[in-house]
Order: sequence, then C-alpha cells, then structure tokens
Amino acid sequence: MWWSNLFADMSPASFFNFSFLPKYAVFFRQGIEYTLLLAVCSVALAVIPALVLALMRLSKSRLIRGLSGAYIAVFRSTPLLVQLSIIYFGLFGMIHIPRYSLFGFVDLSRFIPGVVALALNSSAYVAEIFRAGILAVDAGQMEAARSLGLSKWDGMQLVVLPQAIKNVLPAIANEIVTMVKESSICSVLGMAELMFGAKAVASSTYITLAPYTMAALIYFCINYPASKAIEAIERRMRRGDKQ
Amino acid sequence: MATNNEVIRVEHVVKEFDGGVRALDDCSLTVRKGEVVAIIGPSGSGKSTMLRCLNLLEQPTSGKVYVDDVDITAKGVDLDKHRRKMGMVFQHFNLFPHMTVKKNITLAPVRLKLKTQKEADAEAMRLLQRIGLPDKADAYPAMLSGGQKQRIAIIRALAMEPEVMLFDEPTSALDPEMVGEVLDVMKELAHVGMTMAVVTHEMGFAREVADRVIFMDSGKIVEVNTPDELFDHPQHERTKLFLSKVL
Repeated sequence: MWWSNLFADMSPASFFNFSFLPKYAVFFRQGIEYTLLLAVCSVALAVIPALVLALMRLSKSRLIRGLSGAYIAVFRSTPLLVQLSIIYFGLFGMIHIPRYSLFGFVDLSRFIPGVVALALNSSAYVAEIFRAGILAVDAGQMEAARSLGLSKWDGMQLVVLPQAIKNVLPAIANEIVTMVKESSICSVLGMAELMFGAKAVASSTYITLAPYTMAALIYFCINYPASKAIEAIERRMRRGDKQ
Repeated sequence: MATNNEVIRVEHVVKEFDGGVRALDDCSLTVRKGEVVAIIGPSGSGKSTMLRCLNLLEQPTSGKVYVDDVDITAKGVDLDKHRRKMGMVFQHFNLFPHMTVKKNITLAPVRLKLKTQKEADAEAMRLLQRIGLPDKADAYPAMLSGGQKQRIAIIRALAMEPEVMLFDEPTSALDPEMVGEVLDVMKELAHVGMTMAVVTHEMGFAREVADRVIFMDSGKIVEVNTPDELFDHPQHERTKLFLSKVL
C-alpha cells in the first residue's frame, strides 16, 4: 500500500516502549503530585467565588444577575488556554511572585498564576452547579423559613444552602476530575505537571510516543476509579434521600 | 381606624400571575382575635393564594393587607417582623429535613433572639409533650409519618408564639388514617382561643370548629357566613352546587 511506509518506524510496540521508566520515573511521580495539587487547589479556591456567583445569579436585581451571568458566559465561552495565557502574561505580568519552590519542584511563580486561572475558570462552572443545586431544593423550604420570620439570607444560609451543598457534592468532586485533565494545558506555560513531565521525558530520550501513553495511563488510573467512586457515593446518597 | 379586634384585614386584594391568570379578584375579608375562619371552595378557586397573601408569601398585584392595623403591603415595612406573628402550616409540611425535630422547632426563636437555646429547647419539649411526641425530639423528619410531620410543623409555628395561625390544606397530603390526629391538634388550638385561618377540604372540621366560613370560587369570595347558615342555607347558586357535591 502507498501509505504503509508512513508508519515505517511506528510498530504497535512503540506505544508501550517504557524503557525510559527506571531513569525517568521521578518526572511522572512529581508530575502526578503537581497535577493533583493544581486540580484540588483550583477547585477548592473556586468554591467560594462560585457560591457568590450562584447567589448573584439568583438575585432579584437585574444588574447583579447580569454581572454574574457575564462572568460565567465569558469563562465558559473562551478556551481555557486563552484564559490561562491572558492571566499568566497579563495579570501576573503586573504582579511579581518570588521564585520560591514548594516541595522542591513546585515553582510558585508559575504555580500561583496557574491555580488562579484554573480557579477563575472553574468558578464559572461550579457556579452553575451551585445554581442548579439551590434551585433543586423545594421552594417550600424557603417559604417555611420566611413564614417563621427568618430573613431571606437566614433562610438561604440555614435552610436552603445546607441541602443544596449536600446535593452538589458529587458534581463538585466531578469538577476535580475534570480539572485533573484540563490542567494538562498548564504544561504549555512551563508548569511541571504530568503532561509537562511526559514532554520532558520525550525530548530528553527521543522516545516520542511512549511517554505520552504513560501519561494517558496515569490520567486514566486517577480519573476512572475516582469517577466510579463518586458515582457509587451519589447512588448511595439518592437511596438515603428516599427513606 | 376602629379595630374591632381585627388581627388581619384584607381590602380589595387582586392577584394576577404571570400570563394574566387572575387568581384573586377583589377579595376582602377580616380575621378577628380568637376567631377560626375556614376558607372552602373548589380546587383552583384561589383559597390557597388568598391565605398566602395574608403573610405575603404571595405579593398581591393590588389591594391592601393589614396586620394589627399596619399595612404590610406598604413599602419599607419590616415584613419579617410581621410574619413572626403569623404561624403558617403547609400542605407538604416543609419541615427542614437536615435538622432534628427539636432543631426545626427552636431554629427561628433562637436565631431571631426571642429565646436562648435553653429556653427554646424547654419550650420545644413542652410542645412535643402536648402533641404526644416527646420521644421524637432527636429524630429527623424522614423518620416520621405524615401525621407526625404535620403535628410537628404545627408546633414549630407555635414556638414563635404567633397571634394567628394560617393553615394551607394541612390534611390534604395525609393518608386518611392520619387526618384525625392533625385535626385534633387543630381543634385543641381552637379551644384555647388561637386565632386561625384554615384553608380546608374537611367540611366536617369547618362546620364543627369554624366561627365563620368563607366560600370562594373563581378567585372571588362568594359567600361568608356562620357554618350552620352557610352549610344549611347557602344563599348563592355556586355555593349550593359546591356543597351538593362535597357533602
């Protein structure tokens, strides 16, 4: 066939040529830690702004609703890589962060802009999760709170939000899983996460394919069990609600 | 303005929902101190909307609602303060599922600094004793029957020491065998002189307990009278038609 020599140097075995592992395993190990740190920190930082955005979105005032809506629209309708670049070069071009290393391999001058960008992006998505969670709480709950003389804010804080947050916990855990994957884009800006580690191994060993297969395997082994566990918890929670 | 012991006075209230549906059409009524007013009528007649306008869970499109001679539809009124005086019981109980029974009862009085937690707990236990459920203080609503939930919803409202209690079809969502226990609590309340406005399909209860019965149809108050007069000698055709179907 005319195309057969296109793949001349690509045997199926080259996908799994893990001969680099003994020497370069540390790249992957640090990459995993960096990736998990990025994902967990960014979603954790996103929760409070997301809650504020969701409450704004449900406000009576059109202006406040609009502001929150605009934020959510911008972050959901532009690519993460573009947001990351603008925040990294724009915002953090003006703010100086000392080159301090956490755990020896997390360079804060890169890590902080990355976390901030991911958190700003994530807060737009988590805001929509919260909004749906708040709307899913029966309207009678707020009415009961108001009829007892509690203010709207008390009703929200004491009655509606505790129920809403319990309902959205699985969705927020899923957002962390999404962030584990999405954060691979930070490699473009030199953050030493898992994808960056794979790239580094590929360029130092001239093994162009297998490091990425390795990265894919690792991402899968983190995310698949995690999402299965979340599913199981969700199922159990639903059963608990029915009692 | 002469008060005549009026706790609630509604004047020419109109409620239009989005889309132009007129749920209440120029309704006026009063609820006097110590009185039990039953509101009856076919489904969709506006009974519940009427009741929900009394504590402004439903904002009237026009008209006025006076509580203790204060117009609570006016701008700048501290509505939360007036709502404290009006306990409300809902068709679907609306207990807070993430709190124990005791916490459900004490939440508002403690939060609004009317009582300390200790005082409120003692009051909650006293109220639970009164409805025969002191052993449920630490249970969660999901573990209770419908009748138990509704009785607890009633004492949750009572814990605020309201001047008037509003009941929105309190027995409609209950299994038949639990209706009695809830009505008994309501009867006892009426006996001790609580002012009550009750939207109900329980004609027997309306006849036995109410001082006045309001019949509503198509968003209008058609007839107001004592239960004996209204049930035995209805004046309007629509009242006769409705009663002939339900009695």
